[in-house]
Amino acid sequence: MKIKSILILTLAAAFTAAGFAKDIELLNVSYDPTRELYVDYNAAFAKYWLAKTGDTVTVKQSHGGSGAQARQVIDGLKADVVTLALAADVDAIATNGKLLPADWQTRLPNNSAPYTSTIVFLVRKGNPKGIKDWDDLVKPGVGVVVANPKTSGGARWAYLSVWGFAQKKWGSEEKARAFTAAVYKNVPVLDSGARGSTTTFVQREIGDVLLAWENEAYLALKEFGADKFQIVVPSVSILAEPTVAVVDKVADKKGTAAVAKAYLEYLYSDEGQEIAARNYYRPRNPTIAAKYAANFAKVDLFTIDEVFGGWTKAQKTHFADGGVFDQIYAK
Amino acid sequence: MKKLTATACTLLFALTGFTAATAPAFAAEADDIQALREQISQLDQKLKILERKQELKDEAAATAAKAAPKITVTDKVISIASGDGANFLKFHALVQADARWFFNQSGALTANDAFLVRRARIFLDGQFNTNTTFLLVPDFAGSAPTLIDAYVNQAFTPQFQLRAGRFREPVGLEQLQSDSVADFTERSFVSQIVPNRDIGLQLGGDLFNGTLNYAAGVFDGVPDGQNNGAVAGTVTNTDADNNKDVAVRVFAQPFKNDSDSALHGLGFGVGATDGRQLPASGLAGYKTEAQQSVFAYRATSIIQGKTTRVSPQAYYYYGPFGLLGEYALSAIHARPSATGNEIELRNQAWQLEAGYVLTGEDAGYTGVVPKTVFDWNNGTWGAFEVVTRLDVLAIDKKAFAPNPPGLSLADPLANPSRITDYGLGLNWYLSKTVRASLDFYHGTFDLPGGTTTANTTKPLLRNSENALVTRFQISF
Repeated sequence: MKIKSILILTLAAAFTAAGFAKDIELLNVSYDPTRELYVDYNAAFAKYWLAKTGDTVTVKQSHGGSGAQARQVIDGLKADVVTLALAADVDAIATNGKLLPADWQTRLPNNSAPYTSTIVFLVRKGNPKGIKDWDDLVKPGVGVVVANPKTSGGARWAYLSVWGFAQKKWGSEEKARAFTAAVYKNVPVLDSGARGSTTTFVQREIGDVLLAWENEAYLALKEFGADKFQIVVPSVSILAEPTVAVVDKVADKKGTAAVAKAYLEYLYSDEGQEIAARNYYRPRNPTIAAKYAANFAKVDLFTIDEVFGGWTKAQKTHFADGGVFDQIYAK
Repeated sequence: MKKLTATACTLLFALTGFTAATAPAFAAEADDIQALREQISQLDQKLKILERKQELKDEAAATAAKAAPKITVTDKVISIASGDGANFLKFHALVQADARWFFNQSGALTANDAFLVRRARIFLDGQFNTNTTFLLVPDFAGSAPTLIDAYVNQAFTPQFQLRAGRFREPVGLEQLQSDSVADFTERSFVSQIVPNRDIGLQLGGDLFNGTLNYAAGVFDGVPDGQNNGAVAGTVTNTDADNNKDVAVRVFAQPFKNDSDSALHGLGFGVGATDGRQLPASGLAGYKTEAQQSVFAYRATSIIQGKTTRVSPQAYYYYGPFGLLGEYALSAIHARPSATGNEIELRNQAWQLEAGYVLTGEDAGYTGVVPKTVFDWNNGTWGAFEVVTRLDVLAIDKKAFAPNPPGLSLADPLANPSRITDYGLGLNWYLSKTVRASLDFYHGTFDLPGGTTTANTTKPLLRNSENALVTRFQISF
């Protein structure tokens, strides 16, 4: 047999055989309280993708404080997609890690935030300290449990809620600062992530009120019993917009860009929105939002743009090293 | 009755008086209890806060420990790595102490019965920033230290990796297998007619979720079975001519990701090279399995012109069973002298080897990992594997044909036209690190037309070769 024939035949066999198998693995790097959401969603997406393309997708999850997770990605964690608590953390990946373009937020609807949430209070059953609104958090003897806003996305939203309430009530940055400082004086321990602060409040029985993601509060009720805790909805809170993005450089390298994009787009589908709603995230789709309206308390929500001029400004002013939070929490 | 009523009244009066007198004391006590309860509650909170703070401190310390540099010393590697694993240096070594014993060939040998150090290598490999790796391997087994491998690998993606330096050309299946895990102490004839280590630049990677590996490179070019710089008349780290060889290999493992499939351990592919060699490149000879020099071209013969090799190859591993087969065709152009005619030679080799791990461990291309470590006192013996091999080297008849007006490329009276070798071996894996091997090689020689065992000028060719090769090896 001629050399050329041997070469061509074996090459053809090798390429044909290798082309059959296609198992795809994605890594979704997310923040603390989304564990349950993405367990449900990943299963649904895998089923959808298998039916659509015949390929098997396995999505691995990584969870932690949103800021800490962003740093992990910047430092080399091979995330195909990030689903973080706030846009500033994805911005950090774009700016400091150069792993996706600066305009990432325009690539998906609703500024790449397929669902929203807010901050509510979780108190012990019977609300023994009578906590009804943000003012009550500064009362002497009230223990407030919340995570560290330097590492936790949820905690940043909580901090901004405190500040926003005060600014709206008294119309002064100075008063807002004093009020926020007073609230944080009542914080006995700062966890690094939202799930950690839930553990502190629920399992370690520390404090009187947990400043929690809405979905995290409902999950705590479901898991630990409505006979032990209750949710208190304050008069006003912030509209939290967790954002999602494909980490282009990683996905391109791994050859997973197309499926990673489809994975995030499917969050906006009816099934994706239903799963979000069932996990106590507020869906963007108005029809599905109406269907699950009873799951969510009516609360006056303000946006970060409205009170703080956007994430970039809020991040720099409040959470950068030496920023306002560092100044008021220096104990 | 009156008396009873009076007594009751007296008692009631006394009780009322007592109650009135003691009520403030009870109230004060209740306040105290309440205060104590609150105090206990506060202390309980303080204690819980302290405990939680300690818990968080411990978690932070554990996270910091993960980030700290790690020193690892195991029975497979000694390494220093950064906490995130992105950077590391690893130190390995390979020592092979062999003995070769030849039977029924008194006076006919081209090699002696001997103890020898076959390989004595130190491996230093490392990684920087996850994607850049290097390997540096010197060998101290020869009369002078030799550089075996020295390359840098830049992984842009798993599918796209660039390698530069000195390393094995991507052609032969057994040739690409690590020296420490090959089934036999010595490689087959196939490895003698595909190139060994060369200096060049290679692009390679894994496609389709690791089921297809490819490599394509440009190299200085080496004769059959040779290393760059290992041929007399050439100097390490230089090329003897301006021509370059191109080497390409693709290898598929279609069921690699399906661990339940019976074909999980199937792999097959093909490697090939193409290039041109100038006279200074030399013409390589061949050795028997027991490393006796058995074939050599005439000293006046020179390689000149196009060199092409192709090697289809496959392996299959299923549990303790392993099978590896490959074929290689080497087409070279040579002249019996600088002024002689150019002749195309098509030398061929093939091999089929099979192994079975008697102690039940999985066989594999990357070796056998014993379930137990040899320990006389505890009665554990490690793993045992039997291996067998049949391989053939066939020299093109044109190598022996007279080439008017000059001589043939190879002396037909002093060289075989075909060697067939049967190998049988036993490997004892005392641990992951230590291995002992005992191989018996039986080689038979076919002689070119007109040559007989009576008129051959090389005594080695008058009988078959029977040799026992033993090895005691440490590899980590």
